[in-house]
Amino acid sequence: MPVELDKKDLAKYPFLKEAQHLVSASGYSIDSLINKKHFIVKKGAERVEKAIKFDYFFDDIRLEMAEWEILSYAFARILISCLNERNLTDRLCRYEAERASYFLQTEDPEKKDYVTSIVGINPGIEEIPVVEYVGLCPALHDSKWRLINRDINSGLVRIEKNEYDELIKEKIRSMLDDQLPLRVGEGICSLLSSLTEGISSGYQEMLMEQFGEVDEGSFPPCMKAIINAVTDGTNIPHTARFSLTAFMHIIGMDVHQIVGIYTRAPDFDVEKTMYQVEHISGRGGTEYTPPACATMKTYGLCVNRDSYCKKISHPLSYYKIKKKMMKGDEAPVPSTKKDIPDKVDEKNP
Amino acid sequence: MDAATFEYMKKRFEEYYMTATFMMPPAVEQREWGFIFFDPSGEVRMKRHIGFSSKNEVETYMRSMVPRHAYHSTAYYKLPSASTMPEKVWLGADLIFDLDADHIMRGAYDVMLERVKEETYKLLDMLTGELGFIDRDVSIVFSGGRGYHIHVRNLETRQWGSTERRELVDYVCGIGIDPEFMLGKGRDSGWSARYRSAVSEYFDELMKTDRESAVKAVGSIRGVGDPSAGSFVDSLKETSRKVKSTKKDVPVTGTLKKVLEQDGGPLIDKIRERAALTDEPVTTDIKRLIRMPGSLHGGSGFRVVPLTVRDLDNFDPLVDAVVFGESPVRIDLAFSLTMPVLGNKYSLEKGINNVPEALAVFLCARGAARYAGSVR
Repeated sequence: MPVELDKKDLAKYPFLKEAQHLVSASGYSIDSLINKKHFIVKKGAERVEKAIKFDYFFDDIRLEMAEWEILSYAFARILISCLNERNLTDRLCRYEAERASYFLQTEDPEKKDYVTSIVGINPGIEEIPVVEYVGLCPALHDSKWRLINRDINSGLVRIEKNEYDELIKEKIRSMLDDQLPLRVGEGICSLLSSLTEGISSGYQEMLMEQFGEVDEGSFPPCMKAIINAVTDGTNIPHTARFSLTAFMHIIGMDVHQIVGIYTRAPDFDVEKTMYQVEHISGRGGTEYTPPACATMKTYGLCVNRDSYCKKISHPLSYYKIKKKMMKGDEAPVPSTKKDIPDKVDEKNP
Repeated sequence: MDAATFEYMKKRFEEYYMTATFMMPPAVEQREWGFIFFDPSGEVRMKRHIGFSSKNEVETYMRSMVPRHAYHSTAYYKLPSASTMPEKVWLGADLIFDLDADHIMRGAYDVMLERVKEETYKLLDMLTGELGFIDRDVSIVFSGGRGYHIHVRNLETRQWGSTERRELVDYVCGIGIDPEFMLGKGRDSGWSARYRSAVSEYFDELMKTDRESAVKAVGSIRGVGDPSAGSFVDSLKETSRKVKSTKKDVPVTGTLKKVLEQDGGPLIDKIRERAALTDEPVTTDIKRLIRMPGSLHGGSGFRVVPLTVRDLDNFDPLVDAVVFGESPVRIDLAFSLTMPVLGNKYSLEKGINNVPEALAVFLCARGAARYAGSVR
């Protein structure tokens, strides 16, 4: 028996087909709203901005304005598709998943089950086949989600009751992520360019605040060692290349800056490097984060540990802490080649 | 390798390829192929980005070109022969595990191969027993060198990116274990069972030594002081009992946490003994080339042999992967060695020896000997 969803429900879960039907039945046309510079288009931009700022405050959402809520969702997706920037898309998907999850927490059980099944999880199921689970879990960062830490019996992964909400949220996120970017015509994107440019510059500003200028002097020793190996022309293992690239990507370096590091290698291959960097920085689908210290250790990449290393368990934390410290101390030491250790241990390049 | 040895090797490979049967991967036309040839200049160069439209084409190529090494991609591409990765358009990839003795131990060839076979069994048990992969989707291939390749082919895993594959390789290698979950109430299968047994073994060893050395060992773990090491050692029997029981959650706090999460040390070794030590990057790389089953490994002259689980039991690479016979060949050996082949053990002195062809090809391929003419 299908559940009855009212307009407010559809405003909560705008990714449901029924929500799209509601909007199209109301006679709104995307093209004409854009042409008219309707305020709802701007609402879409605001939705993207909230997503970018991780502004997960949903208490004041006015569900009675269902059509507007759904339309702003649609415009947010159109805008993000015009931007076509992996990080931003990723944040919008997270935002939408958080938003839906917020409403699901207090949802009527029948309706919750309906949404759950729409996103592809069997309501009330206690076990998920390993293969399906692995398709779900990589974006969930807590160690409890790692396959190795799960309770597995004959190919089935046990799911605890209190884990459902998180799993559903992740499923919504990955479902939306698979849908984006939408194919939006260039004409539409150029009509929206003032909004997309605003979003883009806002994002850049935020990054600058967060990480500021890239300061190679504050890189953790493991990353410096890899850079040094690259500069020496050593053939570094894939794990090293991956870790360094993901690290530089997350601290806000763009593809060109990252490739710039690799150009220090004597046998640098532009195309191959661009390809790898773009892949790791998210063009290929997932946005990768650099491995934590524990993983770096298993890769044999945790070298030249210094006093800062004792305080952290992730290379990114090292960078944040050291950079702050350097700023605190008088003038920051300018990044020079001297910061890079002389030699990488050959056993652990 | 000198010209005569090259010529000899290439002839033998040619002979084999005339009648060889190959095991082609599914979707031949979506694979990229790569080959290394007998290059008298000694340079090792791979010709890759090659595409074939049918099995027949591959066979004809193998027979006419006689490569020293032959590989196909684990990936499926729209345009496998395109010269750059983006142009190829990745469509998916087989799930691969590479068990190579080089990553596990050093030793005599036959000893290494026995050891890597054990790892292979552990891996197969995890894949089919614990993780639920079905036998039909799992194929085993002797690499022709020092190990085995496991190919898993099914529609769901085919689309997986590196991050999904990493979940699996971390699982089989025992990476990322969080003791709290391993020692959780009611957990007694898979890694939880292995972890409990590793910890128990470690604790048993600590209890077997005298108190002083046990305290010293525990006290040397980062973050553990001598006093807490002392009380930890004194209550070890009780702790050990808790670790073995699955009735309650074992709280992983204080000294116990530091002991269980120590860097390196004997516990890690015990966990690794229970893991299947595959070469991680091979599994996470979704664009790798892998040896073609049925081809010869140019560094050993052995056949890359497709196997079933049942074959694996009695598979002896030094007999079953040998494709050449026993007609005598004269070789000039660079150093003395002892080596079993085709059921016989050969103890050879440095210098000129007459050996069966199977051994001659192996030693020449390894670069341990030069061809010194046929024996009449």
